[in-house]
Amino acid sequence: MSAERLPTDWKSDAMRKRIARRYAAERRFKLAGLLAVALSAAFLAFLLFTMVGNGIRGFTRTEIALKVDFPASPLLLDPANITDEALANANLPMVTSAVAQKVLGKDADAMISPSAWIAIRDAIKADPNILSRTETIDIPAATAIDLAAKSKGAPEAEAQVARLRQAGLLATGLNWGFLTASDGTDPTQVGIWGAFKGSLLTMLVTLLLSFPIGVATALYLEEYARKSWWTDIIEVSINNLAAVPSIIFGLLGLSIFLNLLNLPRSAALVGGMTLALMTMPVIVIAGRNAIKSVPPSIRDAALGIGASPVQVVFQHVLPLALPGILTGTIIGMARALGETAPLLMIGMRAFIATPPGGVTDPATVLPVQIFLWSDEVSKGFVEKTSAAIIVLLAFLLAMNGLAIYLRNKFEKRW
Amino acid sequence: MTGPAILLLLAGLGAIAWVSARARALRLAGVARASGRRDAVHSLPGYHGWYVALWTLIPAGIFLAVWANVSPGLVTQSVLADPAAQSLPMDGFSRSAILGEARAIATGAQAGAFNPAANALVEPYRSALSHYGIAGAVLALVLAFAGGAYAFTRVRPDFRARTRVERLVMATLLIASLLAIITTLGIVASLLWESFRFFSMVNPIDFLFGTKWSPQSAAMGYGNEDAFGAVPLFWGTIFIGAIIAMIVAIPLGLMSAIYLTQYASPTVRKWMKPTLEMLAGVPTVVYGYFAALTIAPALRDFAVMIGIHGASSESALAAGLVMGVMIIPFVSSMADDSIAAVPQSMRDGSLAMGATTSETISRVLIPAALPGVVGGVLLAVSRAIGETMIVVMAAGLAANLTLNPFASVTTVTTQIVQLLTGDQEFDSAKTLAAFALGLVLFIVTLLLNIVALRVVKKYREAYE
Repeated sequence: MSAERLPTDWKSDAMRKRIARRYAAERRFKLAGLLAVALSAAFLAFLLFTMVGNGIRGFTRTEIALKVDFPASPLLLDPANITDEALANANLPMVTSAVAQKVLGKDADAMISPSAWIAIRDAIKADPNILSRTETIDIPAATAIDLAAKSKGAPEAEAQVARLRQAGLLATGLNWGFLTASDGTDPTQVGIWGAFKGSLLTMLVTLLLSFPIGVATALYLEEYARKSWWTDIIEVSINNLAAVPSIIFGLLGLSIFLNLLNLPRSAALVGGMTLALMTMPVIVIAGRNAIKSVPPSIRDAALGIGASPVQVVFQHVLPLALPGILTGTIIGMARALGETAPLLMIGMRAFIATPPGGVTDPATVLPVQIFLWSDEVSKGFVEKTSAAIIVLLAFLLAMNGLAIYLRNKFEKRW
Repeated sequence: MTGPAILLLLAGLGAIAWVSARARALRLAGVARASGRRDAVHSLPGYHGWYVALWTLIPAGIFLAVWANVSPGLVTQSVLADPAAQSLPMDGFSRSAILGEARAIATGAQAGAFNPAANALVEPYRSALSHYGIAGAVLALVLAFAGGAYAFTRVRPDFRARTRVERLVMATLLIASLLAIITTLGIVASLLWESFRFFSMVNPIDFLFGTKWSPQSAAMGYGNEDAFGAVPLFWGTIFIGAIIAMIVAIPLGLMSAIYLTQYASPTVRKWMKPTLEMLAGVPTVVYGYFAALTIAPALRDFAVMIGIHGASSESALAAGLVMGVMIIPFVSSMADDSIAAVPQSMRDGSLAMGATTSETISRVLIPAALPGVVGGVLLAVSRAIGETMIVVMAAGLAANLTLNPFASVTTVTTQIVQLLTGDQEFDSAKTLAAFALGLVLFIVTLLLNIVALRVVKKYREAYE
């Protein structure tokens, strides 16, 4: 037996120092943890603030109030006969430029947007009678002026803005065109509607394919399949597919859907099919968890009063598991909505200036549009890109919010 | 008859079949019950309805699907048999161009012909199209009626309609679940096939161990020798995804998980956990744009300020930092799970011995949870090296074999995008190289995932 140990003297200096040191280490450790959380959150906040700060200006545009003296202008149009053809033949771009030069000075062409004549055309279309009087029409300013008016621009543009401001001609208006127009070459007139519609069509195809197949697979694996090497293979495949990098699905879509089956390039149909293969495993995994959480007593009760296994599942288990499956589906769809890489592979990065009419038309989607705009050299595209990102993030946030709401509303403790 | 019309007609027939079969089953069941033979009724009337409706729809549907693939060939054949087709050129390309144009005019997809020869063929095309269209519609309707009538005669109280319908439901479920296998096989087969074609042009050894990557020069006819050395890409991928990103993600993710599980009050935890998870929900194209627009220029200015040569506005550091932030939630949720799986008694035991919370965490909880944490890190690495948009937008295209984080490097995924978004000729080594890179990426991420899941699973079993 060893000698009897002395009791620890907690009041000794050495011990006190030791304890203080340990407590200090404890505080440092806790602080490090707090710092890690704060840093991650700060990064998220920085990202969001940068995007909103850059992008919020993309929803507005600078307009110049142009006083157009129609009778004195070199415009040859008959107020009684305003047709699309007559307007197309009236050489409006040239007339607009001439009028602007008369009102704003020699450098007017640098001040107004190359698409300014569209505003004048629309004004004439809306009310042909303005052709007989002088009318003030708000036309979009050129990108350089737009930037200089909103923040800091080139010195030359700054001077022009100062001059226009003094004359009281400059105004800032909501840019409806950003929500209703499609891709273009001039940043003052591009919009997201084409890409947004493409996204909607692609999501529709994805949902119609992945939801029924995913739910059917989950039901089969969870309710009917007996455990065998065969179901093991199915299960392993699904788990692997959920972890395969998304760009690999793009390669699959390219070589099978495009090269082998000759489906149309750049189409929402192929994009949706490719994304459906990606989304399906997510739905299967969420679906299996939801089905698993339905208590066996419900199945036993239904079987006990004579229901067949198919009736048990479709009339009792599936309705109870549906909220959980829907939550998983929304999360999978949100991921598909933000996906870019596989869609680049199947050619959805083409320049498309008209919204797609159907699932086989050439289309692009919102994230790809963001990617394309981010490559543009023109400075006006920076705020447009950020504005498109705001729209995309708002959608994702809404989808995830819906998923959380559904989970909270339907979550049951059996 | 046009496609949508015939489909609508079939749907109508199916609905009629369902209603009438159900009514008949209901009536027959009533008769059977009235005669006192209660046990003679097997299925609910609705099942008889479904049985007949399916017999009406499925054979006709299968026929239409086959017909849609067969009839264009038949139409072309009958047009070629027409006297007007005798004057067609023999050369296959212009021949099919004229035929395609005539077809487009006949279906109304195109207003006029570029090639005058096509005009003569429009009429034969139109008549052949309507001919075969009517034939297909009639055959489909005959099949629908025949199927429906056959099934209708079987509607009897003792007929086991439910069993038949349920068998079909089960078959549908089984087929759906096979799709996962087919997709996996499709990925493997397409990657292997195209890679095989690539490796017949480029030596696999040169590809895997070569250090010079310049597919552009190979495409311009300087030969394939040592233009496809992928080592710089592998290094760039590892440098960004497995080194820089993990230097950011592991400490931040692990410490976040520790703080939120061990120290934070329930309210803080409730709010911070979803906030951190939002980092994983932001689309990668947004991260890429952020890295390229904000982070990369700032880093370059910083590098120039401290006097580093070769600082590029597209740098490994910018892509890696942002990717690391994206990965934080993966690391933290895996760490969270495995720390939560450590038995409470171990934590209590350590605290009862007088250890502080941080000592308990670093000497008891973390070592016990280590396999789970390592598994989580492996999964995060697998995700990072497969990530595309951030590196495409922020890492650059120069295939550098460098240790300088401020230099531009390129990655496997960047090069796949680069190789497949220009001209696409599927017999050039340049395009096919993308599939070889994809194969390597697929194999590596698959191995990482398998190892990670094994590690996590093994550890779980030890405590349960």
